[in-house]
Amino acid sequence: MNKVTCECGHQNPYGTYLCESCGKPLQESDEKVANMRYEGVARRSQTYKSSIVDKIWNFFSSVKVGIWIIVLILVTSSLGTIFPQEMYIPPGTTATEYYQEEYGIAGQLYYDLGFHNLYSSWWYMMLIAALGISLVIASLDRFVPLYRALKKQRTTRHTAFMKKQRVFGESEGSLTEEDRTIMKERLKQKRYRVKEENGNLFAEKNRFSRWGPYVNHIGLIIFLIGGMLRFFPGMYLDEYVWIREGEREVISGTNGEYFVENREFMVELYDDQEEDLFQEALTREDNPVVSNFQTSATLYKRPEGIIGDNAELEKVKDHDIRVNQPLTFEGISLYQVDYRLNELSTFTFTVESDTVDLEEDMTFQVDLNDPARYYEFENGYQIELLEYFPNFYIDNNGEPSTQNRVPDNPRIIFELFTPDQDPEAEGTEGELSLIGVRVNEELNGERDHVIRMEDVELVDATGLTVRRDHTLPFLIAGGAIFMVGLIQGSYWHHRRIWIQEKAGRLYVAGHANKNWHALKRDLSFVSENTRLPEAADQLDDEAENEEEVQQKKGGNA
Amino acid sequence: MKTKRRMTRAIILFVMIAAIGYTFYNHFSEERGLVDSGDEAPNFILENMQGEELELAEMEGQGVYLNFWATYCTYCRDKMEILKEYYEEYEQKGVQVIHVNVDETNLQVERHRDRYNLPYELYIDRNMLVSNAYGVGVLPSAFLINEEGEVVERQIGGKTEEQLVSSLEEIVPGS
Repeated sequence: MNKVTCECGHQNPYGTYLCESCGKPLQESDEKVANMRYEGVARRSQTYKSSIVDKIWNFFSSVKVGIWIIVLILVTSSLGTIFPQEMYIPPGTTATEYYQEEYGIAGQLYYDLGFHNLYSSWWYMMLIAALGISLVIASLDRFVPLYRALKKQRTTRHTAFMKKQRVFGESEGSLTEEDRTIMKERLKQKRYRVKEENGNLFAEKNRFSRWGPYVNHIGLIIFLIGGMLRFFPGMYLDEYVWIREGEREVISGTNGEYFVENREFMVELYDDQEEDLFQEALTREDNPVVSNFQTSATLYKRPEGIIGDNAELEKVKDHDIRVNQPLTFEGISLYQVDYRLNELSTFTFTVESDTVDLEEDMTFQVDLNDPARYYEFENGYQIELLEYFPNFYIDNNGEPSTQNRVPDNPRIIFELFTPDQDPEAEGTEGELSLIGVRVNEELNGERDHVIRMEDVELVDATGLTVRRDHTLPFLIAGGAIFMVGLIQGSYWHHRRIWIQEKAGRLYVAGHANKNWHALKRDLSFVSENTRLPEAADQLDDEAENEEEVQQKKGGNA
Repeated sequence: MKTKRRMTRAIILFVMIAAIGYTFYNHFSEERGLVDSGDEAPNFILENMQGEELELAEMEGQGVYLNFWATYCTYCRDKMEILKEYYEEYEQKGVQVIHVNVDETNLQVERHRDRYNLPYELYIDRNMLVSNAYGVGVLPSAFLINEEGEVVERQIGGKTEEQLVSSLEEIVPGS
């Protein structure tokens, strides 16, 4: 593609509106005021259209495309909030039925369209990815040329450039050295940086505010990268674990290497008798107020070497997990989030009889997590634990079975042998009893003995979340940079003033990227009592013209 | 200039698309097990009901069908019923079937063995050390390990007789 050479000698890329160096308009335009967007440089994406790479690049470079992506994301994101997402429907219900039953046809449609898992659907993720690409390309495509143009700008601009500025004034005459000194002084007072070349002045301030939008975009991109990293292995983990007192569970995300034991779980309450800070508030509450949820936990690590080689787990550390005081190791934190009180742990039974004298107290304990098979008594009685169902239910075949290994609803079948029976002998049949919570049935006819549940030992269970989030630093950094960019672009304004003398005429022009009023005030302050002509807003003259330009500007976005 | 520009653009696009592609791959590919096909099977030692030890490393040279099960898992029951018929045949072909119970009580496992007449050895994974190291979540889970100690396949869920036999066939040494 050909370069365009300006009369000042500078070579501009094809598609340049205003010479990068002197500012002379290179393309004919009927407008009274030059389009200063991106300093009139060629956005290269719009000028090269040859290969597939360029075509993709140009597509994402378009602000119009970017806005469409944002609109689509807004619309689809809001669609996902109409009905609850799948992860929030009540546990135990299936998505296939839930949406239809709860919300009728609309719910069914919602489910069929896949909106119940909207935020992790491929097309939603595609939209977010497209936004990221658009941000990178659109920013690069504008920032690089703009940066170059502002860096290269000359003190002496072409008269045509001056005339095309919105704030412009001209008159016959020339400036004295005194005028210049005063003006420079005043400009510096207004915190302008002033350059002088052959008696022409160029004053500029707050150029860095032009970088605001790009800094802002960098923040957004870092934020998106943070979100993306959640999908990378080892970066993000959010799991849940229930542990009963005295039990040990593996911590997910550690390759089965780390285990946590719940030594004790407790709920502490405020003592409403004691005088303390919250006394007044506490007396207003009807129910006792919890002061502390705590799991006394121990972290274990599986030793190196062969798994299960009888080697004991190595204790790493003890820690009391309280709300907001997690147990942390290797970037993983265990937080206290839930608890269940009074889970079954041990049953104590006694054998009683109305017809037989048992001679001694026959009490025995059954550990529900590891029941023994035989229970022998000194008076010659023997009890065998025939069947144990930790979480009893009748399965599809109509047989008694257990749902899992957690003793939530234990049932035990005991066989009781009297001293005169020989359990080893063939054909010996003892008394069978099926026992559970509020269940005590005889299975083979009349019994002389009753195995009665005397006591229950209970334990508490603690609910912990297992969290690891290495993406947080990215999100925080991204958010902070986003804000810096926002402030940088919003609270400072880039302003430039050109003062020139050519062939016995004086020219003054000004440009601001916003807040033109302040620029005009700066100009009148500078030109006061000097020979500098009054600068006027060229768009003030013709209201129609202004409208036209505004429309053009809108269309150019 | 032109080729340089195109190269820069191509590189930027490539980096972004690669990162996004990797994210999508991670998100949508079937979740990989902690131990999965292609991995070396972690060595372990387990005890059977009589307290005799078994070490996986000693099985080198033979195929190993490592089956994780529980008494309350119906599919495991079906699977173990089918395996009764085949385990001896494949033992001769050089494939060991190892049944690992996920830390139920001795009593339950014994009862289960008696009730279903299970003729083979049963190992109990105390404290779920092995299950956790293999990332066993859903039962039944099985790992097909070849004679070099490499996991060939990770299988989850119930299997038909045909599927089971072809799985065993897959790990016959020298096949």
